[in-house]
Amino acid sequence: MSATGTQIEVVMPQMGVSVSEGTVTKWLKQPGEAIAMDEPLLEISTDKVDTEIPSPGEGIVAQILVPEGETVEVGTVLAVIAPAGLEAVAAPAVEAPAPAAAAPVAETPAPAGQTAAPAASGSEPQSAPPAAAAPALSAPGQIGNGRTFVSPVVARIAAEHGVDPGAVPGTGTGGRVTKKDILAYIEAGPRAAPAEIQRTPPPVVAPSAETPVPAVLTPPAPAPVAAAAAPAAAARPAATQPAVELGPGEVEEPMTAMRRGVMEHMRRSLDTSAHVSSAIEVDMSRIVAARERLKPEYQASYGVNPTYLAFIARATVETLKDYPWINAEIRGEQIVTRAFVNLGIAVALEEGKGLIVPVIKNAQDMNLLGTARAIADLAQRARTKKLLPDDVQGGTFTITNPGGYGTFHGTPIISQPQVGILGTYALVKRPWVIQDELGQDVIAIRPIMNITLTYDHRLVDGALSGGFLRDLRERLEGWDDSSS
Amino acid sequence: MAVREAEPVGSLQEVQDAGLDREDLLGIYRNLLITRGIEERGHILYKQGKIPGSFYTGRGNEASAVGVATAMGADDVGCPLQRDMGVHVTHGVEPWRIFAQYMGRAGGPTQGRDGNVHIGDAKLGLHAMVSHLPAMLPVAVGMALAFRIREERRVAIAWCGEGAANRGDAHEGMNFAGVRQLPVVFVIDNNQWTYSTPTHLEYAAEHLADRAAGYGFEGVVVDGTDVLAVYREAKRAIEKARAGGGPTLVESVTLRMEGHAVHDDASYVPKEMFEEWSRRDPIDRFRTWLLDNAALRPDEEDELTSGVKRLLNDALQRADESPLPDPSDLLDGVFAEPEALDTPHHK
Amino acid sequence: MAEKTYLQAISDGLRQEMRRDQRVFVMGEDVGAYGGAFKVTLGFQEEFGPWRVLDMPLSETAIVGGATGAALMGLRPVAEMQFADFVSCAWDHLVTVAAKQHYRAGTPIPIVVRLPSGGGFSGGPFHSQNPESSFAHIPGLKIVCPATPEDAKGLLVSAIEDPNPVLFFEHKHLYRRIKGEVPDGRYTIPFGQARTHRAGDDITVVTWGAMVYTAEEAAEQLDAEGVSVEILDLRTLIPWDRTAVLDSVRRTSKVLVLHEDTRTGGFGAEIVATIAEEAFEHLDAPVKRIAAPDSPVPFSPTLEQAFIPQVDGVVAGLRDLAAY
Repeated sequence: MSATGTQIEVVMPQMGVSVSEGTVTKWLKQPGEAIAMDEPLLEISTDKVDTEIPSPGEGIVAQILVPEGETVEVGTVLAVIAPAGLEAVAAPAVEAPAPAAAAPVAETPAPAGQTAAPAASGSEPQSAPPAAAAPALSAPGQIGNGRTFVSPVVARIAAEHGVDPGAVPGTGTGGRVTKKDILAYIEAGPRAAPAEIQRTPPPVVAPSAETPVPAVLTPPAPAPVAAAAAPAAAARPAATQPAVELGPGEVEEPMTAMRRGVMEHMRRSLDTSAHVSSAIEVDMSRIVAARERLKPEYQASYGVNPTYLAFIARATVETLKDYPWINAEIRGEQIVTRAFVNLGIAVALEEGKGLIVPVIKNAQDMNLLGTARAIADLAQRARTKKLLPDDVQGGTFTITNPGGYGTFHGTPIISQPQVGILGTYALVKRPWVIQDELGQDVIAIRPIMNITLTYDHRLVDGALSGGFLRDLRERLEGWDDSSS
Repeated sequence: MAVREAEPVGSLQEVQDAGLDREDLLGIYRNLLITRGIEERGHILYKQGKIPGSFYTGRGNEASAVGVATAMGADDVGCPLQRDMGVHVTHGVEPWRIFAQYMGRAGGPTQGRDGNVHIGDAKLGLHAMVSHLPAMLPVAVGMALAFRIREERRVAIAWCGEGAANRGDAHEGMNFAGVRQLPVVFVIDNNQWTYSTPTHLEYAAEHLADRAAGYGFEGVVVDGTDVLAVYREAKRAIEKARAGGGPTLVESVTLRMEGHAVHDDASYVPKEMFEEWSRRDPIDRFRTWLLDNAALRPDEEDELTSGVKRLLNDALQRADESPLPDPSDLLDGVFAEPEALDTPHHK
Repeated sequence: MAEKTYLQAISDGLRQEMRRDQRVFVMGEDVGAYGGAFKVTLGFQEEFGPWRVLDMPLSETAIVGGATGAALMGLRPVAEMQFADFVSCAWDHLVTVAAKQHYRAGTPIPIVVRLPSGGGFSGGPFHSQNPESSFAHIPGLKIVCPATPEDAKGLLVSAIEDPNPVLFFEHKHLYRRIKGEVPDGRYTIPFGQARTHRAGDDITVVTWGAMVYTAEEAAEQLDAEGVSVEILDLRTLIPWDRTAVLDSVRRTSKVLVLHEDTRTGGFGAEIVATIAEEAFEHLDAPVKRIAAPDSPVPFSPTLEQAFIPQVDGVVAGLRDLAAY
């Protein structure tokens, strides 16, 4: 029963729980006639009972939509009453629709039928369970090749660690790889796995020794690092510096070893890689909100700050899973991809002494909290000069964060032998065009961060880098309570 | 104990000796009018499609319901059934909430969780019925058990229809009540039709009150259209129970003046029965009695009827404007929390 | 603390509550003068009188329905079905009135129905059942199934405190066979909290009631074979401790659900379905279910032993899982 603004609808009532339709047997009033509240308006017949229907409103009968003799579903609009005061308008209008009443009448039951049917069909799929019985998992041996059956937990662990279950010796029924088998395999030697894939067993350390990352040049205290640095320095002509001519007002000072290392690396990097930078602007509102939300808990429970860098690092590692080439290395004419991400985070040393890039090993295994802690730990150790050689080797991708100075864009240099470096910049409140709930453009104030990916175009093309940045942005802009 | 057939009530003096003054009588009349008014209005609403599900009323049973309810004490409790709207009205359930209940609104006593006349405001001592009749009869006996254990002078009333009386629950409840002589009064609303089944196909005893002897207590048959006779018998039975005299079975005989529910036109009831019993309409009957014995004045009557009409119109409007329940509350209250118990456990 | 049998623990718990709270009373067949068919209420009528320990007629609906009415009036009845099997006579009342009253009428029904359940002693079809699953399916009822004396007492006290109808299944084959340390004072055990009966790494067994002991014997054997079996005693079915079960499954990746009730539609099916829905990626083997076969409980000992899950059967099931 509804009064749509000015009109009152008369509907077929449900006379009993199991009744679904009724027949109009007699109209006691005709269009144009006055009707009082509760005055009998028509007679109906159902499976269970014949009865009169009292009018739900007072006014003039404007339209009769279902003629005598017609059977309609419960809830069908039978007639429309125009409340008193409108009859002057309704009366003439009534004549016109009346002959056309035949057409709407034919249609009216249909919509009711349509609304009824989907309800019925809608419930059926829910009540009828899939007929197929759950497929009986046959014992692996029965499949014929026990090694091809992978249980859900083994599949998950394999995916998480980038391990091919086929490479794992299986002790389960029929040679099946069990959870224990794959866990033992992973513990025994994650390095062994990439070795298998590459088919050459170079220790991961070796590439770093050949092509030192500038971060290798920590202050002299850790001897092995200095030793590693030494070959790099030694690779240069012995530190004989050509005599420098000075003009009036000019002063000279010698370069530190670190400075020389940086100088060498930067030049070499530009000479090696085909540097191209792409940029994307990210609406960081959700990150800002998530950070606010998590800050107290992280501080209180873990003593760690969920920094924007931590969020971006987390999202970057996730995105790299879909872009293995951006996490790769060119060796000769081979493209070497990895199942792991060793994420380098550039840390500026104090007083302009240089740049160091400690590495979070196996960042793919860390959630937001783990990432935040790892970053905090490495940064602290970097500043207090407690980094170990392993902390600065083996990176596969780097993030640099010059935005602390307020700069909104940059073109970092790739840290060899990697093929990409992500630059994050200042978070700036900008007027931003968004869509409101009606899909219309409105201007909101949003915290926007520009993010760049500088990539080696020898391996990575614009389309790939574009996709990566797009996906990264989606992750950051779509951060919600379920993200970690 | 033989079954006693109650006599009609005579003069105003007799009534006043029984404890009712003229004010009370006008109050009874008002409750009868409200009861019928609510149910008539409900019929119309149902046919207008405003009430979902099914719709049951107790036309013809108003005097039986109001009569028993009037005889109950302030701390007595009961489990009325679908023909006993008069019990809820007499105990003060607001009519707007009854309409809200019919229409499945959130403001109804069950907040839309149960429908039609499955209502019972526990604060007023009434507990909602269940469809599996008479499932609440043993429950009412349990209430009487609590009174007996705590030695409280309170009584429980268990209503039952003449059909429901034939189910095991009725037998087990009555037997237990008799064994322990519990303070419970059993009221059988015998309206002579269990849906479409006449009494001779429903039970074999001459009177259902005959069964009381089998349970060890007294039975009485009363004309359910005579509100004062019902009151008198109910009062006698209730006070007897209160004084420790054990249960009584009061069989109140009426005719169900409508179908089992609004979708039933009761065409199986012989027309003569309807004609005979409509001459004994409980409300007309009491009105006549008031005119003859209590000097009911036209202005008093007008005031009563117009007052009831206003009350019900306002109630209907209020209910109509009240919200439907929120589906997000669907699972609330499946289990009770400790706070729902009205006294701390360890007391 | 003292060592008590499972039955003594229940009896003590009930007696303590009746001393503590005047509103608690007992109603059932033969519970008064006779002390109860299993003697759980021996001495109660002498101490509390005939109106707090009521000898009821043979009338399950009057017992359970009467309990509901008394609870509505503020008392705390503890009703007893002489055998759990007889609760079917009061099934209508429990599912129609007791389970639904709070939801639709706002009035809580704080009743406890004690149910001596389970078989293993040639009780036959009508004295041996575990009729828990049909009630578990009806929203509004709580289901409790303690396995140890300590749990039985604490859970009974919680049941009496709970404002909802609680079906308290006491496994009668444990009454005198199982002894344990039981705290003397009053304590409660929350519903929906499983107890780790035995910690392990390789397989999780989810069970309750008398089957806890069957599982324990089987686990001992597997232990000698180098397989570490964890046993979770659910203690309550409605509500049940999903978190504990899922956590354990995530660790071991292999699960056996074990119950004495019959297999089809037994409560184990609900547990297995939940594991499949929520821990699929942690499973290293299909979830296994061991339960009684779908027949009435047979009488003759050879038949009954083939019916009730035995240690050998559980050992075989665990071995299958371990080897998978």
